[in-house]
Amino acid sequence: MVGTRSGRRHDVSPAGTGAPGTPRRPGRRFDLLPYALVTPLALFIVALALFPAGVTIVQSFFRVDELNPPTTFNGLENFRHLFADGSVRSSLVNTGLYVLIGVALSTVLGIVMAVTLQRPFRGRSALIAVLILPWALPGVVEGIVWTGIWDSNTGLLNSVLTSAHLIPEYQVFLGQHRFLTIFAIELVQVWQMTPLSTLLILASLQNIPGELYEAAVLDGCSPWAALRRITLPLARPGIAIAMVQAVIATINVFDQPYVLNGSADTGASLTMQTYFISFQNLDFGEGYALSLLITVATLILSLGVVKLVYRQVEF
Amino acid sequence: MPRRLPWARTLGILFIVLWSLVPLYWSLNTSLQTDAQISERPANYVPPGPTLRNYHALLTGPGEIPETIRRSSLNIVVECTAATLITVVLATLAAYAFARMRFRGRQLLFYAVLATMAFPAYTTLIPLYRIMSVFGLVNTYTGIVLVYVSGFLPLATWILHSYMTSLPLAIEEAGQVDGAGRMQILWRIVLPLAWPGIVSTAIITFLFAWAQFLFPLVLSSDLSTQPLTVAIAALQGRHVVPFGLLNAAGVLALAVPAVIAVSLNRFIVNGLLSGSVK
Repeated sequence: MVGTRSGRRHDVSPAGTGAPGTPRRPGRRFDLLPYALVTPLALFIVALALFPAGVTIVQSFFRVDELNPPTTFNGLENFRHLFADGSVRSSLVNTGLYVLIGVALSTVLGIVMAVTLQRPFRGRSALIAVLILPWALPGVVEGIVWTGIWDSNTGLLNSVLTSAHLIPEYQVFLGQHRFLTIFAIELVQVWQMTPLSTLLILASLQNIPGELYEAAVLDGCSPWAALRRITLPLARPGIAIAMVQAVIATINVFDQPYVLNGSADTGASLTMQTYFISFQNLDFGEGYALSLLITVATLILSLGVVKLVYRQVEF
Repeated sequence: MPRRLPWARTLGILFIVLWSLVPLYWSLNTSLQTDAQISERPANYVPPGPTLRNYHALLTGPGEIPETIRRSSLNIVVECTAATLITVVLATLAAYAFARMRFRGRQLLFYAVLATMAFPAYTTLIPLYRIMSVFGLVNTYTGIVLVYVSGFLPLATWILHSYMTSLPLAIEEAGQVDGAGRMQILWRIVLPLAWPGIVSTAIITFLFAWAQFLFPLVLSSDLSTQPLTVAIAALQGRHVVPFGLLNAAGVLALAVPAVIAVSLNRFIVNGLLSGSVK
């Protein structure tokens, strides 16, 4: 209906009311231009996003083996195989730890950094440039960079800790103890995610009216109480969005464990298992099933975080 | 804002600077040393005799590793530039239609764009690989660029849509009264006004493309299309590659996004916030 009514006039106002005095051509011709403008986008979205997502959902329930066709329906068989697979179960635990450590640390650090940047000061924009640097760099290369810190022969951490006599000799940090390995790897991802968390939280902080703090000071409120009673509650929208992006990033973690710890069970993530199952074992059906599970878990966790943390804030 | 606590803020500033820069400094420091110097204990916190031999070896030297790094650097530049250009052009056209025109299916398509941003990118990894292999596009620039564009278009469209809807209508209406066509209005009026949004979108898209790893790992089987990120990870997996050389390659891969991030950070911050807060 709208399409035909618009005719060939330039429908600038979102409400479709048009400006007074706009020259309208009377024709009822079909307006092709908007369709021409959005067709490329629509093609990309449908062919290379929605269709593949649909394939993942449907083929999770099929046996898909390129080397040994045909593809046949096999119900929940792929999922049963996944849960029986020791490496997948171990990666599930690892991924749980990545999510817990990553979301907690990036949120806490994001709050600390955002509060640091809340009030204008000289050099703040330069500091923001420094802050976003780790966000802008490829995760793989960040893995290489941090290898130089964790390394058992030449690493910075070993050198500093032995010089300070905190450890007697150089230690192996990666690949020995599961929790230590995962913490060390996740710290690298936290390094990458925290700038965005900080910016998102900072955006919320900038909306808090300064009078609130002035009133709090007059009432004898300590800076710590102001942080807890004013800043944190009013920053909840930003904190929620920051946590959601951290959930999505950590549950799909791949680059950092792949580079820092290889395929070893001590650090392998679920996304790494998807890659191994699909592209090394060539079992696409199981790969689809695992991708689907990760996607569903991502959506559920993200919604959970929004429900728990997000609050509408009005000033 | 909280009562002044100068020491707390100084601590915070110090923490941000050290947190962001120490790991990068360490990699740079390693890349400027010889392998013998790198393995000294305790480590050299500054290069004892800074040397560019690792960079020299990578950029001009013979051998498999330098050739891999040089070729994959070319690949990453080609792929990121092509993906960015196509994404920004297509997103600008679509965002203009979404922001300023009404047409049948507008809501539906817009929700489809939003929906694709909600699920994780790796959901489509295996199907995209199989689609590309059906069309013979595995291990081609075309295949990689198509996948990148499909991945980055939704966010780019969203950022540009937010930007364009925030522009004042009056100027466009004046253009209309003067008899300008809609494409003329886009070209002469909207684009000049929206350029900060377009620059933000281009920078963010380029940085995302530069950071890609798992998609090209799957879609590029050899050096003819492998980007620098994949090539470096492959080097790291082989223990024979010296640490100095590896870090020099890492610094090269970091240099482009680092320079962009530091010099154009204002555009990045604005783009990211308009893309995720609304």
